[in-house]
Amino acid sequence: MPYNGPMGGWHGKALKVDLTRGTVKGFPLEEELLRDWLGGRGLGVRLLAERGPGIDPLSPENPLIFATGPLTATPVPTAGRFCLVSRSPLTGTVFDSNSGGRFGVKLKRCGVDALMITGRASAPVYLYLTERTAEIRDASDLWGREVPEVTEALREELGGDCSVACIGSAGEKGALLAAVMNDVHRAAARGGLGAVMGSKNLKAVAADGSAEVATADPERLRYIIRESRRWIKANPVTSRGLPLYGTAILVNLLNELGAFPSRNFRHSSFPEAEKISGEVLAETLLIRRKACWGCPIGCARMTRAGGERGEGPEYETIWALGAQCGVSDLEAVARADYLCNKAGLDTISTGSTIGCAMELAEKGLLPGGPRFGSASDMLGCVRAAAEGTGLGRELARGSMRLAEGRGAPGLAMQVKGLELPAYDPRGLQGQGLSFATSNRGGCHLRAYLVGPEVLGIPKLVDRFSTGDKPGLTIFYQHINAAVDSLVLCRFLQFSVSDDHLARFLSAVTGIRFRAADLHRIGERIWNLERSFNLACGIDASQDTLPPRLLREPVEEGPARGRVVLLHEMLPSYYRARGWTQEGVPGGAKLSELGVPRFVS
Amino acid sequence: MLEQFRKFGRELFLQGVNSSHSGNISVRMGDRIVITRRGSMLSDLSERDLIETGLEEDDSHIVLASTEVKIHRAIYRATSALAVVHAHPPAAVALSFTGDSIRPIDTEGIYYFKSIPVIATELTVGSDEVAEKLPPVLADYKVALLRGHGSFAVGQMLEEAFQWTSSLEATCRVILFARMLGLEAGEASEEW
Repeated sequence: MPYNGPMGGWHGKALKVDLTRGTVKGFPLEEELLRDWLGGRGLGVRLLAERGPGIDPLSPENPLIFATGPLTATPVPTAGRFCLVSRSPLTGTVFDSNSGGRFGVKLKRCGVDALMITGRASAPVYLYLTERTAEIRDASDLWGREVPEVTEALREELGGDCSVACIGSAGEKGALLAAVMNDVHRAAARGGLGAVMGSKNLKAVAADGSAEVATADPERLRYIIRESRRWIKANPVTSRGLPLYGTAILVNLLNELGAFPSRNFRHSSFPEAEKISGEVLAETLLIRRKACWGCPIGCARMTRAGGERGEGPEYETIWALGAQCGVSDLEAVARADYLCNKAGLDTISTGSTIGCAMELAEKGLLPGGPRFGSASDMLGCVRAAAEGTGLGRELARGSMRLAEGRGAPGLAMQVKGLELPAYDPRGLQGQGLSFATSNRGGCHLRAYLVGPEVLGIPKLVDRFSTGDKPGLTIFYQHINAAVDSLVLCRFLQFSVSDDHLARFLSAVTGIRFRAADLHRIGERIWNLERSFNLACGIDASQDTLPPRLLREPVEEGPARGRVVLLHEMLPSYYRARGWTQEGVPGGAKLSELGVPRFVS
Repeated sequence: MLEQFRKFGRELFLQGVNSSHSGNISVRMGDRIVITRRGSMLSDLSERDLIETGLEEDDSHIVLASTEVKIHRAIYRATSALAVVHAHPPAAVALSFTGDSIRPIDTEGIYYFKSIPVIATELTVGSDEVAEKLPPVLADYKVALLRGHGSFAVGQMLEEAFQWTSSLEATCRVILFARMLGLEAGEASEEW
């Protein structure tokens, strides 16, 4: 039954755009589908799964799905985000990437919950959406231009208050590290979904909706929001740390723990971390702080470096273009960040791949390659990757392909092809398990055990223990999948409980959801993603980590002598999930969760 | 793990929310649970007081497990909890006779709990009725009371479930003191 509730949150409608045929059609979203998969990541993955798992990521048939959530564009804190879903050309896995700014709000206000784009236009196009129109328009004059110019040109042309999601040169050239950028500086960065967009000859989506999103019980919602704001204010992470120093607040914290890797994870800390810390960034480059739509936290940084202004760099970027490359010049890191944002490159994967190239060069496997510690080499590599020239062509394909091509696959710090982010799992065992078991590859946000292992949220656990980590990892993989489907910011979870999230959803939709329901939905999403990956040939053999993290003990600092004890955690993880010891969800499990089958 | 069980088992006794041999605690590890031994003294736990058994299936260890193992299992099945603390906090148990839920009046209590539900059953120890009625409530609340018996608190880790137990007793004491002063306090009201 198409969604036709008394309530609010969802529109119950999506758009199907076929760029080959040049058509745009609306289609209803069933009520059951929305209840079971919510929106964002869950809805996107479910729609992707309907198309089947075997599609080549860069083929016209691979859908690129922009999805909002039931809370998007409501007054719920951080509800301005959207989710991008597709099969990744970088990892071959199911993939979702989540971004802030305000594009999600403008898209939702066009009266649709999701936008599914397939096909390939014969010439560059962009999509223009409002609550009355959905048009495929010529973008020949935008092709070849970088993100800020494209955004400015479209805003000028379309007037009003439109929000633009687009690709830069990286996406056009099919770089596997290409991001989709929105509102100039925000990025659905990981997994190379910018290349999927480029493969469709789709330069941009400009959304300018203004339709209000209804809420079922506005008075109750106001009450719950007021309560949540009190929690956000009371928690020093969300009221002091992130607003004052941005995500870079983590640099010194993680470095002190011996969990801030440097020089391609050869070390688990970086002696010069202080120079690239959030505190130094605030003293030197910061112009002002900035917040995404509807966010009371405001972790984004507007900065100035090298005579330019831009946004960032954030924690992961500082690590990737800084410590991972042995670079301690914060201004150079910021300039590299700006370059990535303009060209539409994932800063984590770009920096991590450059770090890999530096080690290859040091070992003589990449003659004349970049050197650890050289800011100019790092910047040169970013430029080359953005332009797709020289070594940049190799870098833009990611570390796994680079290291394999140079005969040293073990030097790529990646899982399932996705570069690892800024946490050395030898100092954080749970994070190690969550990297290895992530459905989209080496990602910190799937479980994000930084809460319990570093910040003590909700309580500090022993970061070196292994017995408790399978349960905790699964717990967070589920709730985070649900939050990505609502689509809210991960940082809200530092202050607001699962129960509170369920109350937001209940007040907005008029349907009673409990925290346990969100966990159940998260488990459903996780099992669907796993089944999709298995059907793509990505099995338990890829639930692993780079050999360095499993076999090379940390030589110094608080994590000295540690490796990731994955063999102690993985069997318990599978068993706790109710999967076989080969990591396969059984038929009974999938039926119980209502997950469509791809594998028997 | 023993260290955690010892620490919080002892704290529960020291805080006066358990008598010498009352209460039980457990953690879930996938499809296994570790629960305190039947009749164990929570303030002085040793390795042999920690009993591992299946979440779904019995094994020989079941004969050693706490009488409340059935309730712990049912809670784990119905919620996302990874730890459960059962205690007999006296102020909270006293208040459990006065209504179907308790509404905190102090800042800490209001901060942590929207309210504390009270469940009434004919048999309150290890009964099927408790196993049926309590877990759905704990899918919604961090802690709940069994009238005349005690509290069950859930968390991702033992420390969290312990904290809810400790805070529950503190907030109930404040209500009792307020009532002793002649104030109307702690009655249930509509919940958002």
